[in-house]
Amino acid sequence: MSVAGELPEMATPVPGLVRALRRLVVNPLIVKDGLSRMRSWRAPVVIAVYLVMLGLFAWLAFSVELGSGSLRFYGAARVGGTVFTALAVVQLALVCLFTPGVAAGAISGERERQTLDVLLVSCVPSFSIVWGKLVASVAFIVLLIVSALPVFAAVFLLGGIDGSQFAVAQLVTVTTALATGAVSLFLSALFRRTLAATVVAYGITFAATAGTWLVGTILTAAASAVPRAGPPPTNPLLFFNPIHAILTALLGGSGVPGLTRVAPVYYLAGQLPASITIEPWELTVAAQLVVVALCVAGTVWLLRERRALTSRRTASI
Amino acid sequence: MIAVEGLRKRYGRRLALDQVDFAVPRGEIFGFLGPNGAGKTTTIRILATLTPADAGTATIGGMRIDREPFAVRRLIGYMPDFFGVYDRLTVIEYLEFYASCYDVPARRRRLVASELLELVDLSGRAGDQVDTLSRGMKQRLCLARALIHNPEVLLLDEPASGLDPRARMEMQELIRELRRMGKTILVSSHIVPEVEELCTWIGVIDGGRIVEIGPKADVLRRAAVGRRLRIELAEADEATAARARELVAGWPGVAAVDDTEAGLEATVDVGLPGHRLLRELVQAGFDVAAFTPVDLDLSDVFLRLTEQPEEGVG
Repeated sequence: MSVAGELPEMATPVPGLVRALRRLVVNPLIVKDGLSRMRSWRAPVVIAVYLVMLGLFAWLAFSVELGSGSLRFYGAARVGGTVFTALAVVQLALVCLFTPGVAAGAISGERERQTLDVLLVSCVPSFSIVWGKLVASVAFIVLLIVSALPVFAAVFLLGGIDGSQFAVAQLVTVTTALATGAVSLFLSALFRRTLAATVVAYGITFAATAGTWLVGTILTAAASAVPRAGPPPTNPLLFFNPIHAILTALLGGSGVPGLTRVAPVYYLAGQLPASITIEPWELTVAAQLVVVALCVAGTVWLLRERRALTSRRTASI
Repeated sequence: MIAVEGLRKRYGRRLALDQVDFAVPRGEIFGFLGPNGAGKTTTIRILATLTPADAGTATIGGMRIDREPFAVRRLIGYMPDFFGVYDRLTVIEYLEFYASCYDVPARRRRLVASELLELVDLSGRAGDQVDTLSRGMKQRLCLARALIHNPEVLLLDEPASGLDPRARMEMQELIRELRRMGKTILVSSHIVPEVEELCTWIGVIDGGRIVEIGPKADVLRRAAVGRRLRIELAEADEATAARARELVAGWPGVAAVDDTEAGLEATVDVGLPGHRLLRELVQAGFDVAAFTPVDLDLSDVFLRLTEQPEEGVG
């Protein structure tokens, strides 16, 4: 066996704060997870499936719009706006479908692979581990979103959607991916098994997006039937809902009856202050960022305390 | 280099460690010996800053692990009793990843990884994916990973478990080489010959308590409350052997006599003058073919120290 005479010397210690800030960007886990993910056969398959599904839906939406005579009666802008909105909602749904699958195994996968302990003994603090895992998971989803931009750009050319609406739709999609990823990551630390974390993550994602949107829309429609002064009351379930945020951003107050851009402020304040115009997407993004912060803090705590929900098996003695 | 005092750890109603005390001098290979479930892994996990102790203190390099865990982590290289690896990385990428986890500058990571691969004799596999390595190679890769930041102390939990004899010997040689480099090494194992061959200090843990500790020779000496003599008789029939057994058993200082295939083995007091017993046998007309002391090995010591029934300790 060959033996090196001397082992290499340790790196010069870098001040803690500088190291922590640097690790937000230059994080070994982001590189490692990105490398591992892109080497698997799943990555190109997922990207392909995602683009095919989105492309098929765009083609379907166009066909329906053209078949209904919208182009002749209302012009290309109307068709473009409708198809873009439908596409944005479908993209959101696909992001909600893929994100838990990517993020819910981030910590539990390390635990199952029996690499988590070694990582925790290294000089990477718990926060950097969680941050690296979150960024690595969401980066793949962002890659999906970016890869779909040409599809959106093609629809955008028809008009009906301005640049800010385009940007808002993509922003809400990205923050939804971030929030879903953070919740999934928390569950990944909470549960020992990836399967359990994934199932619960899908349940929560569905409840927080489609669930609240369906229930909120039904309740809003029911409340709209009652005659009253002022704007139609939007159900609070929709205030932080990304589907509602995208729909109101793209269709405006007139797009969906009973849903207005300023409804949450009206609801919370009792009346509509003229100077405040908080859009639903702004509330949604803010709420999602709060969820991200809470989930990251919770995941860090779980890692530091070495806690997991099914930790009755108390390590081998 | 490693000092543990009054360490106590409970998992629910199960007491895993009960007042564990030991110290490992710098530059020694400390064999942490004990049956399965004795508390070896718990102790190592506490030292590795992975599990907090309920009571007691542990220091590595003078630093308390509960107060300065980050500083301690820079001092230790930890190799768990399983070797989880990232299969989709190549061998060199695997080491470079951990080098970045320990803040080795980017420009030096490739060099550090290459030197370590040379040390563990995996240079030829640097570009291969980790999942193509054999178990022994993965084990050596994990040892290289534990060395990536050049730690002063190595905590190796069952480093040779599951390895074939050749891989085990290679691992042992590697650990000896690391000692020559000045590392302090704590090796846990339940395989007695492995510890006996490799270690300079030994601690025996059983039921969460340290039952023996010290330099290997001292442990063997202290555990040897008596010694054994092997007596072989030339062409002895059963009656002759029985008479010889009777004579030996009646000799002052002989605690027990066992029959063996070749003759007899007597457990005698340390101070018993063997030559007088030999003379007595010869004068009684026995044709003594061999009369030799039997060396007490670590297996005997281990069995003797751990044979007591557990008393509510896991």
